[in-house]
Amino acid sequence: MREWLARTIDWFRRDALDRELAEELRFHRQHLERDAAGEAAGADEARYAARRRLGNATRIAEDARERWSIPVLDRLQQDVRYALRGLRRSPGFTATVVITLALGIGANAVMFNVVDHLMFRPHPYLRDPGSVHRVYLQTAGWNRDNVYATFPYTRYLDLQRWTTSFSQLATFAPATHGVGTGDAARERSIVGVSASFFDFFDARPVLGRFFGAAEDSIPVGANVAVLGFSFWNADLGGRNVLGESIQVGNVPYTVIGVAPENFIGVAEDDHPAVFVPITAYAANEGGGSRSDYFLRYSWDWTQLMVRRKPGVSHAAATADLGAAFLRSWNASRAVHPLYRTAELALPRAIAGPLKTAAGPNPGLEARTLLWVAGVAVIVLLIACANVANLFLARALRRRREVALRIALGVSRGRLAAQAFTESVVLALLGCIAGLAVAQWGGLAMRRLFIANATAFDVLTDWRTLGAAMAAALAAAIVTGLAPVFFTGREDINATLKAGAREGTYKRSRTRTVLLVAQAALSVVLLVGAGLFVRSLGNVRDLRLGYDVDPVLLVRWERRGTPMDSTDRATLRRRLLETALARPDVERGAWVNSAPFAAGTSIMTLAVPGIDSVPLLGRFTYQVVSADYFATIGTRILRGRSFGEHDRAGVPRVAVVSEAMAATLWPGREAVGQCMRISWQATGADTMPCTTVIGVAENAVHAPVADLPLRYYLPEEQWDFGATWLLLRMRRDPAGAAEDVRRALQAAMPGQSHVKVQPARELVDAKRRSWLVGATMFVGFGILALLVAAVGLYGVIAYGVAQRMHELGVRVALGAQAGHVVRLVVIQGTRFALAGVALGVTLALLAAPWIQPLLFDQSARDPAVYGVVASLLVVVALLASAVPAMRAARADPTTALRSD
Amino acid sequence: MPPTPKRDLLPGMLDMLILKTLSIQSMHGYGLAQHLLRLSQDVIRVEEGSLYPALQRMRQKGWIRAEWRQTPNNQRARYYTITASGRRQLGEQEDRFEELMAAVRRVMRPA
Repeated sequence: MREWLARTIDWFRRDALDRELAEELRFHRQHLERDAAGEAAGADEARYAARRRLGNATRIAEDARERWSIPVLDRLQQDVRYALRGLRRSPGFTATVVITLALGIGANAVMFNVVDHLMFRPHPYLRDPGSVHRVYLQTAGWNRDNVYATFPYTRYLDLQRWTTSFSQLATFAPATHGVGTGDAARERSIVGVSASFFDFFDARPVLGRFFGAAEDSIPVGANVAVLGFSFWNADLGGRNVLGESIQVGNVPYTVIGVAPENFIGVAEDDHPAVFVPITAYAANEGGGSRSDYFLRYSWDWTQLMVRRKPGVSHAAATADLGAAFLRSWNASRAVHPLYRTAELALPRAIAGPLKTAAGPNPGLEARTLLWVAGVAVIVLLIACANVANLFLARALRRRREVALRIALGVSRGRLAAQAFTESVVLALLGCIAGLAVAQWGGLAMRRLFIANATAFDVLTDWRTLGAAMAAALAAAIVTGLAPVFFTGREDINATLKAGAREGTYKRSRTRTVLLVAQAALSVVLLVGAGLFVRSLGNVRDLRLGYDVDPVLLVRWERRGTPMDSTDRATLRRRLLETALARPDVERGAWVNSAPFAAGTSIMTLAVPGIDSVPLLGRFTYQVVSADYFATIGTRILRGRSFGEHDRAGVPRVAVVSEAMAATLWPGREAVGQCMRISWQATGADTMPCTTVIGVAENAVHAPVADLPLRYYLPEEQWDFGATWLLLRMRRDPAGAAEDVRRALQAAMPGQSHVKVQPARELVDAKRRSWLVGATMFVGFGILALLVAAVGLYGVIAYGVAQRMHELGVRVALGAQAGHVVRLVVIQGTRFALAGVALGVTLALLAAPWIQPLLFDQSARDPAVYGVVASLLVVVALLASAVPAMRAARADPTTALRSD
Repeated sequence: MPPTPKRDLLPGMLDMLILKTLSIQSMHGYGLAQHLLRLSQDVIRVEEGSLYPALQRMRQKGWIRAEWRQTPNNQRARYYTITASGRRQLGEQEDRFEELMAAVRRVMRPA
């Protein structure tokens, strides 16, 4: 083994070794001469004696040289040189092949990288990833009956207590908060984690320590923080920060450690800036649940990872979890009597993949990405088909050369090896170019998919490099071996005798098949592109129940500045007044929870005449200030909006969404009805009436979400500490954001700070999967069309070149230019039509799978199919028109005289 | 000059002799040949045609190292040095050789 390594190394420096050996032998001979001179008389005789004793120097050199010659490598080097020489001779061919492969390989490298990160690559430092799972739960009537991975902290306590299959359990809750103080404060991703979290990893802090169980204690954990490496390095300059205080959200934490480089815990896209004890996080940021988050089950905010004990099977672990969850469900019913019974809720738990994208219910974005990855593979296939076609064309052109070499005694095996070497060289060149494409395209991709793009580097990522090399090798095998298999054995004699002039034009069936396959795959991709573009259009045009474009969002973090509810109300009023004083602000309103999001806040509801309101659905609320509906642009369909007179002390009022009105009072007028609302889990039926004064149009948070069962309460009557300020702008919110931020920040007291963001940004994030799908499909579709067009052009042009003689004869016999053009163009169009027919069939077959990814758009939309089909035919016409023109100019005398 | 009587070395023995010589001191190829000739009192005359290929083979096996140095007369020569793995190899070969010699002796002079 070692010897072979040494031999290989020697092979690479064999020229130097040859020189050294020659010098060594010269030295030896000199000394022999000197010895002989002592014994013999004349110098000539001495030299002769020395030479006789040394023997044949050339022979010695040859013998030694055998030690560093490896015949296989010698031959390979020859083949590579031969291939490179050949490629240099036909730069057009080389460039076409390299660019085609580069696009195919580059697209695949990017998609591999993205999908690998999203689904397969284990998290850095995670010990024995095979035994680690994420816990998914499922209950009927919640999350549209789908599995969910976020649940109450109390559930984690229950599952920890009642399972026996796991050696480790850790809970964690990712969130975004302002980190830092004053103007330097920035929104960062942070994670609340249990102390057991760090035990899942083989990570050691680069500074200080991780926190332990004593600091992660119920009810209030210690305010200590472990910093993420990149945050520490970039924002704090990598200095010794142990013992310093860092503001996270509302509270300062003491830094006790820094995580090692690339440690991201189990984050899915971002590098967390700060890790804090989850019990400290709950006590500091838990709002109304801060004191009972470990007793009640009403706050869904934590996630759970577990490690199976050795010897416990996956199925046993899932069964164990299921039994524990059933017990936990019954326990939660003791706290929340209105939760459905276990018979109705059918609680189920699964030990699934740690990465949610690989889990039982991957998001739309993950599913779209997988499709796009499939598309990238198709692009590579098209590229391979195209390159194989070019190779075949060249193999036909080289028929004479090959026949001649066979006649001269070159073995067919050696010829095949040479052809293969050539395609490997080309594929490697394509791979290098493809990686450049990937590096450049990958950055764009990440920006598109993941807003907080972290480092994306194809060139230093071994898995991606490996995948690209594998793709290149596969391409080399497919393209290099195709000509070997398909050209078959030819009659050397006939080929040699035929000369440059082909007797008749022979159509290669293989090339036709490849061409039709290319066209068909292009059609499939273009249809996909068309469907996604139309989906995106539909999403854009959808009436969501609010205006997005003119609205600016202002978020406010108090950051520990002490304020009672009167102070807060005063500050809210002051901020609103400051904003409204600006000429570019039209209206403004406060709201207590994130707008454009699925509501999570619920209170207990009772409605006279209905036995159990929770069984009808999950009714969420928002507390808003008076001008809310006009500011956000949600229309009041019936009744009225809130006004000055809806103050504290007068009978309570509410506005309900259209869907809620239809659910609670089907067929009746909702305005004037009575709802009883309680902040407590029970006792709603004894509360005084809250009268419905208006019905608002449904405001859906996402295009595919259920219609919202939402009611709105006036801020003056419910002091819930609204933290979101919406401003309706008279000019572009993106341009105004910074001005508004400065004006409002000036009005904020102490450490508190405001964050300003156009509403469009928030909503666009939700449309990203369609945006990504549409962009990628269109990009790849156009790529595929280009590649197919080049292929078509190449094949037809080559065919015309082959037929020049025949066409010349036709022209000589009196054929018109028009006839010749038609002859060629019809041939090209026939290919395209066959491809269209096949492609449309394939697309129709794939339609049921792609349907769930589309929005309000049939996967069998005839308009899309029609446009794509005609587009392909037009491209085919253009691709064959150029060679056809050349054919029409065929000069009969040249054609007939040649060869 | 009288012709030197030719003695064939047993296979593998050249390696052992070279390793043994180098285990005492680093030498260049010419020096090795001279050393063997002198110690064997002109019996072992190593053909240069077998010496240099053997040295290259042993270098590739990692038993010896080669490096260019100045000779005492200020000439450039390639010196060979035994490595740790070469010393291990030498020990094994010596053992095997002793065994073989003992066996041969027992056959030739039965007790």
